[in-house]
Amino acid sequence: MSLAEEYTEASDDSRLERGLAYVQRNSRAYLLIAPAAVFLLAVVGYPIIETFRLSLYQSPADSNIETFVGLQHYVEIFNSDIFYRLLWQTGRWVAVGVAGKTLLGLLIAVHLKGDIRGRKFFRTAFLIPWGIPYAISAVVFRWIEHPQFGYLNAILLKLGIIEQGIGILGNPSIAWLGVVVADIWIGTPFMAIIFLAGLQSIPQELYEAAAIDGAEKWHQFRYITLPQLKSVVLIATLLSTIWTFVSFDVIWTMTGGGPISSTATLVIHIYQVGLQNGNLGRGAAYSVIGFLFLFVFAIIYLRIYTRGGDEL
Amino acid sequence: MTMAGHDRSNLRKVRLYGVLIGLLGLMMLPFYAMFSSTLKPESEIFAAPATLVPSDPSIQAYLQVWTQTDVLLWVGNSFIISVGTVVLTLLLAIPAAYSCARNDFVGKRTFLLSVLVVQMFAPVVLIVGLFDVITQMGLFNTYLAVIVPAAAFTLPFNVWMLYGYFKTIPVALEESARIDGASQLQILTKIVLPLTKPALVASVTYTFLYAWNRLLFVLTFLTDSAKYNIPRGVFSMVGALQTDWRMMLTVSVIGIIPLLILFAFLEEYIVAGMTAGAVKE
Repeated sequence: MSLAEEYTEASDDSRLERGLAYVQRNSRAYLLIAPAAVFLLAVVGYPIIETFRLSLYQSPADSNIETFVGLQHYVEIFNSDIFYRLLWQTGRWVAVGVAGKTLLGLLIAVHLKGDIRGRKFFRTAFLIPWGIPYAISAVVFRWIEHPQFGYLNAILLKLGIIEQGIGILGNPSIAWLGVVVADIWIGTPFMAIIFLAGLQSIPQELYEAAAIDGAEKWHQFRYITLPQLKSVVLIATLLSTIWTFVSFDVIWTMTGGGPISSTATLVIHIYQVGLQNGNLGRGAAYSVIGFLFLFVFAIIYLRIYTRGGDEL
Repeated sequence: MTMAGHDRSNLRKVRLYGVLIGLLGLMMLPFYAMFSSTLKPESEIFAAPATLVPSDPSIQAYLQVWTQTDVLLWVGNSFIISVGTVVLTLLLAIPAAYSCARNDFVGKRTFLLSVLVVQMFAPVVLIVGLFDVITQMGLFNTYLAVIVPAAAFTLPFNVWMLYGYFKTIPVALEESARIDGASQLQILTKIVLPLTKPALVASVTYTFLYAWNRLLFVLTFLTDSAKYNIPRGVFSMVGALQTDWRMMLTVSVIGIIPLLILFAFLEEYIVAGMTAGAVKE
């Protein structure tokens, strides 16, 4: 970075001149990243700014008239019951979803770790739910949970657990559980694969030493596996939290946020208000609130990712 | 090893495989429900309670699906969207990643970290602003309305994947080619990219799957049903009052078959891609 230092330490007078010379010397490097940088600025950067701007306007999607309303959207959102209900529904959706994915992923990974026959087969098979269209998984779960013709009810009836078919997705108090199950099914493979890779990077000698010392399996897991896996678990649950927070396709296909908004999360509400109802301004204000959450997640992620001043 | 020890390790193996097969079975249940339902005749699929095993399995649904639904069109559109996204993403990512791997310049760190943040910026939170931009660009109802945002959100993964890999290729290799009179483009296409194959395959697979699987962009930016892809097509079959479950599940099976083939051949690359960014060596 000697050239960079030369640039930043330049005196005020010659700064522009030196800066230009610096860019010229490195013109090829800049030219090569330019298309990607410009593209991202246009397709991601600009919409971010546009979202902030729109959130200050009353802006119906079907007309070109925009009225400046300042912070009115935010004031109304924070004063509405809907907002707090959405926070609660989003919170339970993320908490249960991430917990389920993490525990199941860990369970699968621990059992795939050893020297087992057919590991490649198992790993590929466990991967499938993650890699197929969410909308397809969603309709399949919708079918399984169908009140009359669904397999779930058929199984529960056969086992004598219930006497009458239940309609999970039509019941406002349990519908979200019917959807979260599908989301866990989709999100578990990622966790399993990450944990497996993390487990395999733990030096085998640690276990051998522990075995000589006579440590039991559970103690090995508690005192070797978990501490060694800590940073992997941290990153994986953080990524999973983000993805669960913004999960759209599954909820939208299974319930569309209903019944009576009981399965709506913040992002579902953004879509309903901003695009379905065409209230771009209000939708944008909800989006900005969503940004804040993602911003916090992103900062934590970057902290972990660049911890210890690693070279990029 | 003593006999007792041998028995114990055998027991452990049985338990291990037992748990694995149990978990696998649980995970496969939705696939079973999907596939077995497509083998039932119309009268049986609407039996209450459902029959867990088709009483008279037939492949009738797979013969009817081609004429009763637009599945071929949807699969075709999925390919157009996925391939388009892959091409656009690579065209942008390769030069950027290469530049960052080979040069040190002011703004590189900022660029790479901003790209990482984009990865986190889920499109759904941006959808209102994106809607505005796509409309302003005049892309609404074109394939590009889906390809452009999909490329933007797969670009981060591609840049980082390729950047990490380019760095491992010795500069000396390129310098000797340059002495032999190769142009910069030749060096990139003839020497660097072939050596980057594992990262390229991982990037292409990730991008292809991303574009194939997502509903959001198609749902929002394509209202022309002639341009629907598989997820959108399946979604359109969910009726408010009536749903043709048999046809919808058959389309679903057809929609995931290309992916199963992809997984079988490229599993290792997919796993490598998934773990990049989460597991540091």
